[in-house]
Amino acid sequence: MEYILSQLMNGLCQGAIYALMAIGYSVIVGVVGMVTFTYGEIMMIGAFGAYYTFLLVGNNLLVMILAAFAASFLIGIVVYKVCYERFFNAPRHISLLCTIGFSILAKNLAQIVFGPDTKPLQGIIDNRIFPINLFGLTLQIKLLQIIIIVLVVVLALALTLFFNRTKWGVMLRAVSQNREASYLVGINVKRVTMMGSCIGCAFGGVAGILLAINYFVVYPTMGAAYSIKAFSSSVLGGLVDLRFSALGGLTIGVIENMGISFSSASFRDIFAFGFLILVLVLRPQGFATKRGSRV
Amino acid sequence: MKKLFVMVLCLALVLSTGSAFAEVIKLGGLAPLTGTYTEYGTGFEIAFNMAIDEINAAGGVNGYTFEIDVQDSEGDPVVSTTLATRFAEDDSVLAWLGDFTSGACKANAEICDLYGITQLSPTASAPDYASMSPYCFSIMGRQDIEAPFLAKYIVGKYLGCKTAAVIRVDSDWGLASYSNFERKAVAEGIEIVAHETYQTGETDFSSIVTKVRASNPDCLIVLDQGNSVAAVFNQADADGWDIRHVALGPGTSAQLLGQLTDPANIIVTSPFFFDKDNAEVMAWHDAFKAKSGFAPTIHPACAYDCVYLIAEAVKSIGDGELNRQTLRDALQNVEYDGLTGFIKFTPDGDISRNYMICGGTAEGWVVLEGFEYGAAGL
Repeated sequence: MEYILSQLMNGLCQGAIYALMAIGYSVIVGVVGMVTFTYGEIMMIGAFGAYYTFLLVGNNLLVMILAAFAASFLIGIVVYKVCYERFFNAPRHISLLCTIGFSILAKNLAQIVFGPDTKPLQGIIDNRIFPINLFGLTLQIKLLQIIIIVLVVVLALALTLFFNRTKWGVMLRAVSQNREASYLVGINVKRVTMMGSCIGCAFGGVAGILLAINYFVVYPTMGAAYSIKAFSSSVLGGLVDLRFSALGGLTIGVIENMGISFSSASFRDIFAFGFLILVLVLRPQGFATKRGSRV
Repeated sequence: MKKLFVMVLCLALVLSTGSAFAEVIKLGGLAPLTGTYTEYGTGFEIAFNMAIDEINAAGGVNGYTFEIDVQDSEGDPVVSTTLATRFAEDDSVLAWLGDFTSGACKANAEICDLYGITQLSPTASAPDYASMSPYCFSIMGRQDIEAPFLAKYIVGKYLGCKTAAVIRVDSDWGLASYSNFERKAVAEGIEIVAHETYQTGETDFSSIVTKVRASNPDCLIVLDQGNSVAAVFNQADADGWDIRHVALGPGTSAQLLGQLTDPANIIVTSPFFFDKDNAEVMAWHDAFKAKSGFAPTIHPACAYDCVYLIAEAVKSIGDGELNRQTLRDALQNVEYDGLTGFIKFTPDGDISRNYMICGGTAEGWVVLEGFEYGAAGL
């Protein structure tokens, strides 16, 4: 039973990172109105932003997270200008292809600029383990896992507050719900859409540094496997609903890890995508409900 | 008259240029320059060019100079076969060097047969690779020797373990390594209490580590070459698991050591070591490091030897006709004392090597035992 609890904790930690990725992804899809396949590279750029900050200022997790946020936020502007701005009235596949192209370009440029090798990122968080007694069972929780989960919860709450309690948040929600009506009431739709792209990317960047801290390395191709996981988590949550997207990410993380604990890690993606397909067959809208809200 | 003179001069220039082109031996190069095996692929490219620069600077071989076109196979058999076909269909390419993984090399074997072109891999070590085609060669040694060496000498004798947990990449190489390791481990009375596999490029090992830890092994063994080796051991450390780390595949990789949270807790097998007392080997080590920015493993050293093996084959052909077939036949019979040791191919196209035990320290790799622990006792 303690073994199951440990695996559940591993799944929750990974699921928390997936949840953060899914939240950012859903912000982009919700506000911009188009899916993106450049998200993995956004995460990678965020991780590199934090890595170079680490080299520059030393071990300061908060500053590193801010650097990841800022780096990906800025890249969000580039992604918006290159992949979305000119294509709102074009067929959807145009911007989709642009994001795929941008992804390949970003990955290859990163290999040239940052170097193709894997860079170690160690000792960011102390390797401490806390034994917690749960109904007579001892669960070993790592400080790293606690920090990751707490950070994701805090960021998700901060984003929720931002969307509900700020002028920018209300404008973002308005654009997400109806672009034309937003334009008619005087909202600068282009600027707000760009802001949506930036915020979504920034959350991806933070997810990138959390992945790097969790796995102790940063490298240019690190985002490749996660872009599709972010998309899947978001789809599982109904694509544009932040709460359910987060739930989708968390669920995929737990399903993957629990599946591995009873079979092989070679089947990781089979569990993740098998579950996704199963849910979509039974509920094409994913976890989202009619009462669920858009970004 | 002046026009005639200019025309003759131009003709002479064209002919002389054509002649110079005819004396260049063009080789293909397959290496994972990006992706999880980047360190090794980059090492290949640098080592190939170091050898070629040296040979050309010394005047070439039999009047021939060499050039190599290194392409990025990404460590992916599909990409590798596409590039291999491109080389094979280019009549000016006499042979190609690479690829890095056994899986990619095996995928290319049929292309070698079809086009009658040699594939000389510095590192493919799957036991069934070289025998797939008379045009396939490798100089790394075979997993049916190295993996049993690991079981008998490192796990059994050196560490004295009675039980072991194995985490390995789910590939041709990983399967070959594991089956050979398992065979010897069973024979030596070592119980494999956990065996887990993962896909190439996997990053999250927390579940696997938790799983194999539950079986309480005496040592944790990883069979892989890329970033995953460090990832597994680091995640075991992060889990607070105090266990000895053993790896088969990465050799004495400086980058691996740099990625480990506890570099002093790893032991690997290696058929070759940069011995600080060997001036010639260390000169090459330093030259490589100056070009690459990182310390070499056996992998680029083998890549370097591969170029010289081709040069030796060309040399042995002498004034005879040089084409893909004669080059392959000459390579089969070459005997060469290279940077990584003496090389002579078996009829299958691979070689036998002896292995040693190397351990990590905060300062770098050290040999824990000498060659007396070699494969001869297997």
